[in-house]
Amino acid sequence: MNIQIRPILIALRRHKAGTALIALQIALTLAIVCNALFIIHQRLANLSQASGVDEANVFVISNQWANADESTSQVDAQVRADLLALRQLPGVLDAAPASGYPLQGGGWDNLVTMTLDQVKPTTDAAVYLGDEHFINALGLKLVAGRNFRPDEVSVVGTQQNITPATVIVSKALADRLFPDGKALGKSFYAMGTTPSTIIGIIDPLHRQGVDLSSNRYAGQSLIWPLRSADVRGIHYIVRAKPGQLAAAMREAPKALLAQSRMRIIDPKDGIQDYAAIRQKVFETDRGMAVLMAIICVVLLAVTAAGIVGLTSFWVGQRRKQIGVRRALGARQRDILSYFLTENLLITGGGVLLGLLLAICMNLWLMLRFASQPMPMAYLIVGVLLLLVLGQGAVLAPALKASRVPPVEATRSV
Amino acid sequence: MLKMTHLSKVYRTEVVETYALRDFNIDVKEGEFVAVTGPSGSGKTTFLTIAGLLETFTGGQYHLDGIEVSQLDDNARSKIRNEKIGFIFQAFNLIPDLNVFDNVEVPLRYRGMKAPERKERIMGALERVGLASRAKHYPAELSGGQQQRVAIARALAGSPRLLLADEPTGNLDTQMARGVMELLEEIHREGATIVMVTHDPELAARAQRNVHIIDGQVVDLAEDPRFHAHVVEARQGQGRS
Repeated sequence: MNIQIRPILIALRRHKAGTALIALQIALTLAIVCNALFIIHQRLANLSQASGVDEANVFVISNQWANADESTSQVDAQVRADLLALRQLPGVLDAAPASGYPLQGGGWDNLVTMTLDQVKPTTDAAVYLGDEHFINALGLKLVAGRNFRPDEVSVVGTQQNITPATVIVSKALADRLFPDGKALGKSFYAMGTTPSTIIGIIDPLHRQGVDLSSNRYAGQSLIWPLRSADVRGIHYIVRAKPGQLAAAMREAPKALLAQSRMRIIDPKDGIQDYAAIRQKVFETDRGMAVLMAIICVVLLAVTAAGIVGLTSFWVGQRRKQIGVRRALGARQRDILSYFLTENLLITGGGVLLGLLLAICMNLWLMLRFASQPMPMAYLIVGVLLLLVLGQGAVLAPALKASRVPPVEATRSV
Repeated sequence: MLKMTHLSKVYRTEVVETYALRDFNIDVKEGEFVAVTGPSGSGKTTFLTIAGLLETFTGGQYHLDGIEVSQLDDNARSKIRNEKIGFIFQAFNLIPDLNVFDNVEVPLRYRGMKAPERKERIMGALERVGLASRAKHYPAELSGGQQQRVAIARALAGSPRLLLADEPTGNLDTQMARGVMELLEEIHREGATIVMVTHDPELAARAQRNVHIIDGQVVDLAEDPRFHAHVVEARQGQGRS
């Protein structure tokens, strides 16, 4: 193979417009594809985030009360009766009341400070209210300390503000607040005037939300021993025995309605298993990943088409020249290598510019949308992708060029 | 140097076979300057393209510098074109994107020659045709005669065993044509073997030997009745005009 870089560069200098346009197209494609791949990867990583929940066996009942005039004690009595009924179902392992649940899509979170007079919060934590069954009902893993005792669980009424003395936190929150790893027994404030002392550590426990602000405080959650008696409604976390999820989901609403019909459980999404919860909460991420993937494919296809088009045009335009080269001793593979090298040089130029654009675009996304810095691997993948795409796109017209017979040199234009 | 024996070239379509060359015999000795003449469509260019290994032939034998070329693959044919043959085309066929130096360099690069040797040969060839000072010029900046001189320099740079010229002065005015022809004669005097296709009897007369082709065959002008028929046709044509 006879690589002729200098003559190719000289020839390209005389076709500046076409060369510059393709190089620019490659640069823009690289910049967009690198950033899009990074976003896709982030979104896909979101989809597989561990919630800490025993997702195969847990479902959530969103229960709204029909009677808004009931007192806190009346609501709590109903809640306790409901929980008893649910726990007595043959397919149910455990059930707990909850203000919200992991991957719910949005929910309660509090700023956390280490002292009462601290102005700038240390961090932020998702807040879950639950009783002594909460950990078991979700199937969470207690990695240190202990669960709540029944006597530590208080009842909290509608818009009532109670800060319990004890708290169970996720390991992510514990590590954030106490990097030395000695969080048990330590206290912090979560927008209350009294401190909560850490009695247990769960790992992991996902926040309710999956948006950017949640990602910034990924996995930082706390559970307060409070049983909600909010007149508006409550979530029941129900953990079925292995293999009995479907049956439990069928029986649970019947059991609740047998207790009282003064409730509303939405027939559409009032009872959801974790597959449905995960599907719903990551719909935007999935959609964004698909959209980005489509944009990448379209851009790559357009770039490839541009390369094929320009090279085909050049091959047609230089047919006689190719014949002359063949007549002067070029082998078919010399002509093939000429066009492959020419493309490599154009793509190489585009890629260098594209790297700069990709980094600038990432910096802009970081400033504008609090995106993370793009790892070098995406740039490397993008560069390789564009180089392979360029060589792949140019192959067909280059092969066509290599098949131009030497006798073409003697034909008049 | 160049010997074709009973060579034929047939162009086939679904319904018809056309013989461009039929029972074609020619023997060009080393150091000869042969002019190949004949009317349009007689097969001159087909002969030249086969002689230059630009095309394959259908039957017969062709020995070039002692090598039987009919069984050679494309790579081997390219190598022979590159090392043994220098082409001079009617339309010069310089590459417009490359300057004079780079144009002359093209066949040397395909030979895999090192840069210092390439440079020495290129400048030698350009000096030989009197265009060393125009090395950085592009073809569009040169006259037709100068472009053909560059093409000759390109053909000479590789020190070929055989120079094939296809109507080398066909696109030039009389003065430029004379200059190019004198250059070819000079190259021949230095020992080059030249086969030149031309329809110009004046140019042909300046060659050492003339070979005339009619209907794809080499003919003896004095004896072949087809030659007389062509002459009559030509005269009638002139009369009509």
